[in-house]
Amino acid sequence: MMTTDAWSEAFREAGALAVTRPDYKRTGLELSAHLPPESLIKAAERLYSEGFSLLFITTADFSEGFLVTYVFDSFTEHKRLALRVLAGDRKDPRVPSIAHIFQGAEWHERESYDFYGVIFEGNPNLVPILFPGDDPIPPPHPKSQEAIASIRKLGFLGEAEWAVAGWELAPEPAKPAAEAKPAAKPADKPAAEAKPADKPVAEAKPADKPAAEAKPAAEAKPADKPAAEAKPAADKSAAEAKPAADKPADGGKEGGK
Amino acid sequence: MSNFTFLNPFAVLDEPGTYMGDFFSNNFAKKAQAGNVILNLGPQHPSTHGVLRVIVELYGEYVLRSEPILGYLHRSHEKMAEHKTAYGFLPNMGRVDYLNAIGWNWAYTAACEQLAGIEPPERAEYLRVIAAELNRIASHLVWWGAFVLDLGAFTPILYAFDDREWICDILQRVTGSRLTMNYFRFGGVGADGDDRFFSLIREFIPLMRERLKMYKALVTDNVILRRRLEGIGPMDADLCLRYGATGPLVRAAGVPRDVRKSVPYGIYDRFDYNIPVSPVNDNFGRYWVRMEEISESLKIVEQAVERIPPGKIIVDKAPKPAWKLPPGESVYSVEGARGEICVHVISDGGKSPYRVKLRAPGFSNLSVFAEAAQGTILADAIAILGSLDLVIPEIDR
Repeated sequence: MMTTDAWSEAFREAGALAVTRPDYKRTGLELSAHLPPESLIKAAERLYSEGFSLLFITTADFSEGFLVTYVFDSFTEHKRLALRVLAGDRKDPRVPSIAHIFQGAEWHERESYDFYGVIFEGNPNLVPILFPGDDPIPPPHPKSQEAIASIRKLGFLGEAEWAVAGWELAPEPAKPAAEAKPAAKPADKPAAEAKPADKPVAEAKPADKPAAEAKPAAEAKPADKPAAEAKPAADKSAAEAKPAADKPADGGKEGGK
Repeated sequence: MSNFTFLNPFAVLDEPGTYMGDFFSNNFAKKAQAGNVILNLGPQHPSTHGVLRVIVELYGEYVLRSEPILGYLHRSHEKMAEHKTAYGFLPNMGRVDYLNAIGWNWAYTAACEQLAGIEPPERAEYLRVIAAELNRIASHLVWWGAFVLDLGAFTPILYAFDDREWICDILQRVTGSRLTMNYFRFGGVGADGDDRFFSLIREFIPLMRERLKMYKALVTDNVILRRRLEGIGPMDADLCLRYGATGPLVRAAGVPRDVRKSVPYGIYDRFDYNIPVSPVNDNFGRYWVRMEEISESLKIVEQAVERIPPGKIIVDKAPKPAWKLPPGESVYSVEGARGEICVHVISDGGKSPYRVKLRAPGFSNLSVFAEAAQGTILADAIAILGSLDLVIPEIDR
């Protein structure tokens, strides 16, 4: 039987990016480990060897990507542990399957595949489970652009007791309301942004309209200015300036299988 | 073994105009061996108690491979939760599993209470236990009647429904409904039990104990039933662990795991009762565990009715229908009639929960079937399916 501290150490060895210890009284979880996809199988194998069983898999849609949470509990003692993997690419979310360790995971993974279109690589039978197979429908669960939230907003990732240096699952979104608004004013050139492609700025909705207005080709040149501006203050306004943060939110809607 | 050659209707898939079966039967047939029969049970098959479909590959009468096909009763409960307030989602919980509505009531309510830090008053806790245990008995009774019906005995289900009627009458007094009960509220329960409620329970307990003796003499000790159960469908602890099976399945596999004991939620640590653990892990083990659980639940109800204190049934300033969940996440498990019911709530502090995951015990329990039924004869596979105590709306959600 392993203590929670020992599990923290074990996940670290398995290659976790960060380990957090949520408040058990409030969340019902003793330990939560954030793993890169490639470490998931190693951690799952460890859990199996210690007599843990997979309770369920929750997939949730965030602006950072699909957060896949595996909740385990032991048969002999009560200890609820969670493994989390972020499938960041919304167009092609991929997570390795653990169905060869916990055969019960096959169905849970297929359910996530149905609802969100997350592809579990190595699942022996990745076909719809609750939805019709003859008449495939696009996954209905991804959030709309208005409803989607950032993982950071939930606040349960805050207190990592240990993390890889510089690791951040949900980078600071640069004080969206306060800073994005002045930038959005038509008079302000940076609002137009370098690439018209990343028009929908997820965190600063009011920015959308003026940005669309101010798009004319004339802006194309001054574009390098805001880019230069963004660099020095990378830590703060990075999320705004980086197309990577917003673009996937676009593609998630049609996210076909 | 067989001199007959069975034409495999799915083997001619590639030829235009000869398409047969649907996506799932064709998908299943891809791995079939030539000459074997592929049989489709359900979704309207009487042995599956609802719209469950199972495709089996048979060699003679032996099941080589099988695959349950789900989704015929999928109602998107999880997605519905994202469009209602936390409070507005409560009635859905009575509809996830129609035989164990109170178990689901408890899991969801408590998950939200845990996140918000609400503690229900003492009397509400007792009422919750009484309702949950009575509901467990009702659920086991229906399972018992239907399972024995699968095996060919028609009479027991009539007795079972007779007893269940008592429980419906009792729970109707507090919940207002007989099937899709919506009794729990955030911070307590919806209504207090009146004198008639408690006097009915006091009448019911000795009556049920007498009936259990009769059930044993009539059904459990019946040699035909024993032949159908004993030694059929063994499921060991490792199988349950790999598939995440819970509830009577693991207790029949010799693992004393019951959420009421291992994580005493509510006030379950105050009662004196046992967790039945079977020495045999076959169909009869699962049958025995559930029958024992009925008498253990009666013990709990008896103690709760004796000890219930007067007082409030809901906290002051209980959440109103427009109440917003605080941001964060919460996982809460309760022991339902079929196994561990778990609700995972993720909230961003908005009007409705951000994500609600419902962990149905039947979903994981059914996933065991394909491996457990391998190599048995078809009639035994039906018996194994019945021993899992499936309620399809819960599996499909």
